[in-house]
Amino acid sequence: MQGKPSKLGRLSIQLGLGIFGFWTLAPIAWLVVSSLMQQQALTATPPDFSPSAFTFQNYVEVMNSAAALGRGLANSLIVAVSTTAVALAVGAPAAYALARFQLPGSGPILLMILATQMFPGIVVAIPMFIVMSHLGLIDSRLGLVIVYLSFNLPIVIWILHGFFLAIPVGLERAAAVDGATTLQIFRLIVLPISWPPIFATAIFAFIESWNEFFFALILTRQNAQTVPLVISQFAGQYQTVFGQMMAAATMAVTPVVVIAIIFRQSIMKGFTEGMIKS
Amino acid sequence: MAGITLQQRRRRFGVGALLPAVVIILAILAYPMAASLWLSLHHVELAGGAVAESFIGLANYAALLDDDSFRLAVSNSAYFSVCEVALVVGLGLGVALLLNHPLGRSGFFRVLLIIPWAIAPVANAVLWKWILNSNYGILNAILTELGLIDNYVTWLGTPGRALNMLLLVDVWKSIPFIALLLLAGLQKIPAMLYRAAWLDGANAWQQFRFITLPSLRTTLAIAIILQTLWSFKLFDLVYVLTRGGPADGTVLLNYLAYRQTFNFLHIGSGAAVANVVFFISLILAIAYIRMLRPGGRKVPA
Amino acid sequence: MAKVELAAVYKRFGTLEICSNINLVVADKEFVTLLGSSGCGKTTILNMIAGLEDVSAGEIRMEGRVVNNLTPFERDVAMVFQNYALYPHMTVAENIGFTLRLRRISRAEIEKRVGTIAGLLELTPLLGRLPSQLSGGQQQRVAIGRAMVREPKTFLFDEPFSNLDAALRVRMRSEIKLLHQRLGVTSIFVTHDQEEALSISDRVAVVNEGRVEQVGTPEEIYVRPVSRYVARFIGSPQIDLLDGAIVEESGGTGFRVGHVLFALPQPLVHALRTQGALEMGVRPENVLIADQGTAANVRVVNPVGPASFVTLAWEGGLITARVPGMSRLKAGEAVQFNVDPQHLMFFDKASGRRIEVPAGL
Repeated sequence: MQGKPSKLGRLSIQLGLGIFGFWTLAPIAWLVVSSLMQQQALTATPPDFSPSAFTFQNYVEVMNSAAALGRGLANSLIVAVSTTAVALAVGAPAAYALARFQLPGSGPILLMILATQMFPGIVVAIPMFIVMSHLGLIDSRLGLVIVYLSFNLPIVIWILHGFFLAIPVGLERAAAVDGATTLQIFRLIVLPISWPPIFATAIFAFIESWNEFFFALILTRQNAQTVPLVISQFAGQYQTVFGQMMAAATMAVTPVVVIAIIFRQSIMKGFTEGMIKS
Repeated sequence: MAGITLQQRRRRFGVGALLPAVVIILAILAYPMAASLWLSLHHVELAGGAVAESFIGLANYAALLDDDSFRLAVSNSAYFSVCEVALVVGLGLGVALLLNHPLGRSGFFRVLLIIPWAIAPVANAVLWKWILNSNYGILNAILTELGLIDNYVTWLGTPGRALNMLLLVDVWKSIPFIALLLLAGLQKIPAMLYRAAWLDGANAWQQFRFITLPSLRTTLAIAIILQTLWSFKLFDLVYVLTRGGPADGTVLLNYLAYRQTFNFLHIGSGAAVANVVFFISLILAIAYIRMLRPGGRKVPA
Repeated sequence: MAKVELAAVYKRFGTLEICSNINLVVADKEFVTLLGSSGCGKTTILNMIAGLEDVSAGEIRMEGRVVNNLTPFERDVAMVFQNYALYPHMTVAENIGFTLRLRRISRAEIEKRVGTIAGLLELTPLLGRLPSQLSGGQQQRVAIGRAMVREPKTFLFDEPFSNLDAALRVRMRSEIKLLHQRLGVTSIFVTHDQEEALSISDRVAVVNEGRVEQVGTPEEIYVRPVSRYVARFIGSPQIDLLDGAIVEESGGTGFRVGHVLFALPQPLVHALRTQGALEMGVRPENVLIADQGTAANVRVVNPVGPASFVTLAWEGGLITARVPGMSRLKAGEAVQFNVDPQHLMFFDKASGRRIEVPAGL
């Protein structure tokens, strides 16, 4: 907006920002604070915030009592990294092909890719469960990676497609005239100048895979359980041990939140803009 | 004539580059989608580990019309989606405008936006289950301290209230992304337009009304459609927070499909519900795609 | 070196015809410009010559050999692009040397050749910089260096100066011309700027709606345009077209516009009188402000330094006159003008073709 801001205007904007800050931060703060408090302090009315109420004990006990959490973190890491790697390796060339070569069927393929992002998992859950049972992939990390690819690969293609479209065609033409093969153009020109969006896409795919719950619920039993599943079961079993519950939740979200905060610039640019431009 | 031209070479490369992705997507998704449709047209019986199917046409869908829990899920979903979209897009726009203001441009607020978005939905649900706990929850404690309530409220205790709490939690989680989306749209509006409008004597409200809103129309439409789609996808929160209760008050269509299939083993019926969700999503997805078409968009380049 | 020929070349996208029946011969060592407004198909023609786009029909030959199915590299062409298209992640040296690196030439040899080119183009101190750290003119020179390092048989230029400011653009014209004189490499240049085309080319091909309207030396296309389109496209300010008819009556013979009669020599009138409806074209330098002649009012005066362009309002509309030096005429002033009958052009109104009148008339 343009114009001289009145004092009242400034005040109301600051007030708005304050409310927004509190509204967003308060639940997160409570997550962390209560994970550091003793059970008696949390169940007191009102809660006891004296310094003696604070402790790291919840974290220690969570690590001791729930071996599942450690396994869950490991599973989540392996599944999320593998999914992201495969999605990028297969998705980046495909996105480039869709952006650059007027291949017959590009339009419908793009629509299909976009459409796959939209559907609730339940639509494909039952047949997927049956197929995975037949393949013996229930409760395996490989099974999860395959299923996660089904929604991460389309997202990767969609976002990168938008970026590749924005690369000036002249660059590739210049490289072709310079004698580069199509593969060399992709490898030596397109990829090096697109690493920021590729990186943003990778982070996004990683977070999506890390946080996924529905398919993990259906397709895993114990060995391949990922963090979200561990947390939900933990909350079911120990739902009165509030401090430990919050400690487990904090541990589950911290890696992803830290990554998201560090790379927020590229995520915001990469993803939000990708969703509103064709 | 020997050799092939550059364009032909590039096209060949393109096919090679595209094919693996298409094959993977089709292999993972096409069969399950088709199978889901097929299942919804069958009566499926699980007997002793074996599956027995018999074709019954649209009977599963017809049965849904008489099913009270389906009707309840439809009305719950409708209420939930309408309220959520209105709240998320409305508040998201407010947040985006605040953050686009010079006072709100500090990186701190950007960090704030990214956190709820990055938090796993399950962890979010667990957190709010604790916040809303009727005996020890912080919400009750704060409201009591402030004198706003006399007795502790069982936030998830009655159907209507539980659904509204579900709404609150998901709105909290969803605002950041929509705000980021709208912020990206806002930042595409050339500052020159505001300068020109200001010189023409437009006040802040008029600048919003005649420049911001029209320029943001397509982005807003996209935000509305995406948020509607996502509200239909909601699962984790229901599963952790309420499991559909109390009295089916928080059973949304997506959760109903899950429960029919995996709890009650009504596979055909579950598939039918899933396909209802699918068709609603399909229509919304088509609307979204149309918005993105160059002819249909009015986001300034 | 290379002679480049286009024989009945077409480019179609579905039913849309971008280029129709392009025939053009560029002699060895010649500098030919494709001139046309944006969207006329001139860049498509260049891309087809380069091998960046396929030919729908027809043949492109280089040194007599059909190259339709060869890649740009196999055609041994080098190209300078409109936005320079420098690789943003490579230094100046890497940009220039990229093509050599792809050909697996030894590092020492690359360094030597890049060094030579850089010296020639005064780029030596910039070799370690990235394109984003260069000015527009410097980027332009890097783009030219990248094309030169190949020592190609043909140079192609796609509006290379369109992003430069006016002064630099004019300077680059002479630099390109000098370079061409020195290297003697066949060059094909695309531009929408008619002045640029006239100033650097051996011959100019005027392209309009996917067809070549006219190919000729700068003088030919300026003095003897084949059509109204070419006449209007070349020359600034534009040629004025007067709508009228040839008359032979007691009052005199000539070209009548409304009540005004422009007297023409008798043989010219003879040559033109059998034609249908005509338009008379007058360039500003052939409109003479005089003590006697057609009455007019000064509308606008645009001094440009060595001359001034004076727009006159008269019965037939507006007409522009070029007067030497900084004109003292004021808007609203009443003046008279004549046209120089030696340099008039006549166009068939329906077809737009220029009517060739015998020399000496």
